[in-house]
Amino acid sequence: MKALMSVGALIGVVGLLMLIGMIFGVVPSNYVRLVEGYMPMQVLSELAIFVAGFAGLSYLLNSMGIAFPRFWQGILFWAFIQTYLKFRIYPPIPFSVRAMYGTVSFVAVFMWVSANEEDWKKFKQPILNVLDANTGFHKALRTMYLILLPLLIGGFSFLTMKPSVDEPIELRTVHPAPPASTKVHGKTYTLQTSQNPYRVNPEGKYDQAYSNKLIVEQSMGRLMAPNANPWDDKAEGYLKYVREGGEIFFQNCHFCHGDNLNGRGLHAFAFNPIPANFTDPGTIAQLQETFIFWRVAKGGIGLPTEGFPWASVMPPWEQHLTTDEIWKVILFEYWHTGYYPRTWD
Amino acid sequence: MGLIGNLTNKLGEQVVRLTMSKFRMNVKPALVIGVSLGAFLCSLSVGGTVRAADLPAGFKSGELSAAPPADMIEAGKRVYFTKCVWCHGVDGAGDGPGADRLWPRPRNFNQGTFKIRHTASGELPLFNYNERSADSGKNDLFDTVTHGLPGSAMPAWEGILSEEQRSQVLSFVTTQLVKDRKFTDKQSETQTILDMGALKPVEANEESLKKGAALIVDKKCIECHGVEGRGDGNAFNLKDDWGFSIQPANWHKCWNFRGSRQDPYNVRNIFRTFSTGVNGTPMPSFADNTTVEERWDIANFVNSLCERDVEGKALSIDGQTDKPKINFVVPSAPIEGEISNDPENEMWKKQGRRYIAMGGQITHKPRNFVNRIDDIWVKSLYNEKNVVYLIQWDDRTKSVAEGKLPWAPTQVNVENFGVKEQAPKTGEEGSIASAQNNYAVYNDGIAFQFPIKWQEIPAPFKPRYLFGDAKFNADILKWEADGSLRSFKGTGWDQDFEERDDFEEKVKLLKAEWKNGQWTVMISRPLKGDKDDYDDYTRFDVGKYIPMVFFAWDGHNGDAGRKMAVSAFYYTILQPPIPQEVYIYPAVIAVGVVFLEGWMLTRRANKKKGKVL
Repeated sequence: MKALMSVGALIGVVGLLMLIGMIFGVVPSNYVRLVEGYMPMQVLSELAIFVAGFAGLSYLLNSMGIAFPRFWQGILFWAFIQTYLKFRIYPPIPFSVRAMYGTVSFVAVFMWVSANEEDWKKFKQPILNVLDANTGFHKALRTMYLILLPLLIGGFSFLTMKPSVDEPIELRTVHPAPPASTKVHGKTYTLQTSQNPYRVNPEGKYDQAYSNKLIVEQSMGRLMAPNANPWDDKAEGYLKYVREGGEIFFQNCHFCHGDNLNGRGLHAFAFNPIPANFTDPGTIAQLQETFIFWRVAKGGIGLPTEGFPWASVMPPWEQHLTTDEIWKVILFEYWHTGYYPRTWD
Repeated sequence: MGLIGNLTNKLGEQVVRLTMSKFRMNVKPALVIGVSLGAFLCSLSVGGTVRAADLPAGFKSGELSAAPPADMIEAGKRVYFTKCVWCHGVDGAGDGPGADRLWPRPRNFNQGTFKIRHTASGELPLFNYNERSADSGKNDLFDTVTHGLPGSAMPAWEGILSEEQRSQVLSFVTTQLVKDRKFTDKQSETQTILDMGALKPVEANEESLKKGAALIVDKKCIECHGVEGRGDGNAFNLKDDWGFSIQPANWHKCWNFRGSRQDPYNVRNIFRTFSTGVNGTPMPSFADNTTVEERWDIANFVNSLCERDVEGKALSIDGQTDKPKINFVVPSAPIEGEISNDPENEMWKKQGRRYIAMGGQITHKPRNFVNRIDDIWVKSLYNEKNVVYLIQWDDRTKSVAEGKLPWAPTQVNVENFGVKEQAPKTGEEGSIASAQNNYAVYNDGIAFQFPIKWQEIPAPFKPRYLFGDAKFNADILKWEADGSLRSFKGTGWDQDFEERDDFEEKVKLLKAEWKNGQWTVMISRPLKGDKDDYDDYTRFDVGKYIPMVFFAWDGHNGDAGRKMAVSAFYYTILQPPIPQEVYIYPAVIAVGVVFLEGWMLTRRANKKKGKVL
C-alpha cells in the first residue's frame, strides 16, 4: 500500500513541478503535447492522474506525521484546478467559461470537505479560529482581513465597472441542423437518401464497408493503409477517386483547411474562428457524408442563422466545382483523416 | 545563380560539381557571367581538397552521414505518399497537384537544393536519419519538417508525424527523390558546418546595432532588402534556380522568415541564414566576406527591425498559427480638438496599434490564392465630429495603374474585364510563381466597411463580410493609389457598389504616402451623416462595438475588384471617457463590506458570550 501511494505521490510532485515549470517557462509548454483532436480526453486523464498523485501525496505526508490540514487541502486543490485550466489548456478558454468551471469545482470541493461531520469541523476550524481571534496571530490575521476585504472587493468592482475594450465572446453552433434536401447544379439531393457516387467497391456498388478498409490508419501520423496507395499506377475505383479528390483539395481547400486537414492552412491565421479541423473527432467524424455535401456546396453563406453564416468565409463551392468534384473531395477528406462518415441510422 | 546551375548541368556534372561545390555562391544577375567564369577558373586551380585553413570563419569541417537503411526508406515512402506528394509531386519535382497555385512553389527535391541549412553555400543540408531531436543543429532537414517553413504553405509537422516518421520520410526524400546529388557520396560532396554551438551571440547593445546598420549598407543588403528592410529593394528581377520569381524577405515580419524555426525573434536563426545563404536563391552566404562578429551585428540589427509592441517587446506569437496574436478590437481614443495628420504626432504615438491579419479572398471568383499583403496595422482616434483611421502596411511596390481602368470604380465583377483567377493546373510555365511579376498593374488600395444599421443587428449577428448583403448594407470607404477616396454602399458580394457623392465631400484623406516599402494612409470620416439617424450612413455611437472589415489590394499582384486581401470581422469601438459612477460605486460597495464585517463580528462575539439576539 505504501509503495503504491509513494508512486502516486511521486507522480503528483512531478506533475506539479512540470505544471509550474510550464507556467514560468522553465519547461517548454509543449513538452507534454496536447494531442490534436484528443484534447478533452487528455485533459480529463491528466487531471485524474493529478488527483491520484495528490491522494498519494496526502497519504504519505499523513503517515510521516506531517499531515496537511484539510482546510488547506481544499483551498489548494481548488486553486490547482484554476491554474491548470488557465495555463495548461491551449487555445486559452475565456474567463467566463473558467469562472463556470471554477464554480463547479468550488461546489465539488465544498462537498468533499463537508462529506461528514468530522471533516466539516476540521475544515471550518481555521475559519472560526480567525473569527474568534483566539491567539495573537489570529488576531493579526483577522485585522488584516478586515482591512483587505473591503479594499479587494472595492478594487475588483472598480475593475469590472471600468469600461473595457475586450473582445466580446461569441459562441457559435458548429453543426447546425441541415435542410431536408439541397439543390446543386440543378439537381435536388435528399440528404437522408443520397449517397456518394464514388464510394464504390470494384463492382461499382455503393459499399462503405469496402472503402472503410482502405482509408488511412488511425494511429500517430495517420498514414495510408499498406497496399492502398492512391498514387499507385494500378489504383482503380475508390482509390483512384481518392487521388482525384486529393488533387482538387490541394488546388482549392488546403489554403484554409491545411495540408494535414487540421484547419491550419496558409490563410487560416487571418480567420476568426480559424477553419474547421477535420482531424478533430468533433467535425466530419460526427457527420454524414451528405451533410458535408450540403455544407461544401452551399458554403458559409448557405448556413442558417444559428450557424453564424457571417463567421464563415467558406465558399459556396458550387460556384467553383462540379458536383462530381465535390463528392470526390469529400471522399478524400474521409480517406485522409481515417474517419468513417456517419450513416443516417 | 541560375546561370551557374545551368552551366554546371551542361558541363557534365560530377567533376565540375566537385570543385564548384565550395564556390556555389549566389550572386546578382548582372554579375553572374563574370563571377561564374571567375569562380569556374578559380575552382579549377584550387581543386577539391578542403583544408581547415580554407574554412570560412565560424565553420568546421564535418563528415557525411551514413545512408539510411532500406526499411526506413520504404517506411518513408508510405509517409510521403500520404502527406507530401500532393504538393511535392510523385517524383519530388515540386510539381504536385497543389503546386501551380502556390507562391513560393513547393520545393523541387531533384537537384538537392535546400534553403535552410547549417552547411556552407552550395552544400547539401545536414541530414542524419539517427538524429531525431529537433533543433540539435545537426539535422537541418529534420528541423525543416518539424517546424515547417513559415510564410509558405509548408506546415510544421511536429505533433502530426512522429519523430520516427519524420526521419523516415526524409530518408525516402534524400535517397529517392534527390536525384542529381548523393548525400553519401564522398567524391562529390563535402560538409562544412556552421559551428553554432561554439559561437556566442554578441549582445544586441546600441553599439552592435549601430555597426549592423552600417554593415547592411556596406554589404549591399539594402539593394534587395530595401533601405528599411521591407524587401522592397529589387523586388522584380529576382528569380530562383528554376526561374521562378521570388522576393527578398521583409525584415519587419520575422514570423514569415522561412528559417525562423517557430522562434522568430531568435537572432541565431538570422545569423545562420546570413552565414550559410539560401541555396537556390540570389541570397548568398556572407561567410567569406564578413567576420563572425560582423555577422552577429547584422543579425542583431535585422532582428531589431522585426515588429514589436509599444514597449519594444517581441510580439507574442500564436502557437496555432505562428503569426502574431490577434486582438479583434480596434479601439478609437477620444481627442479634444483637431486630430493631427502626422503619424509621428504625440497623440498618434500614444495610441496603441492593432495587427490586422489579411488572407486572400478565396471565397468568390476571381479568387486570390496568393495575397502579397498579409497584414496591416491600424490605429484610430476620434473627436466630436470625426473618427480617423491610420492604416499602415508593407507593400514592396507602389502601384498606380497606367491610364484609365476599363471598369468603373463601382463595378465589382471585374472578372468580366479579364481579371481572372489562376487555373488549377497550368504546368510550371503558367504557374503563379512564374507569372507573379507579369500581371497588369492596377492601383494599390485599402478599404474598410461597417454595416450601416449595425444598431439594428443584435450582437453577434453580422451581415456578409464581403460588401454586406441585401438586408444589411455596408458603408464602404475605399482609397486607391491614384489618390481617390470614395464612399460606397455595398449590397452584396456580387452587386455593384452604389456611389455616394454627397458623402465624399465629408470624408477626408489626411495622408497617403508610400515610402521604402510601406504605405501610410490616414482617412477621416464623420461620426454620422447629416441627420441624426442611421438610414444611409453608419452612425458611430460611443462605447459600442461596431463590426468592421478591412480590404487591401496590391496593384502589382494583379489585385482588382474581388481579387484582394481581406480580414475577418473586427470590432471598432469609440472608447468612452470614464464616467463618475465607476469611482463612486466601488467606494460604496467597500463601505458596505465594512458594515457587513462589523455585523458578523458582533454576532459571533454575542454568540460566544451566550447571548442570543
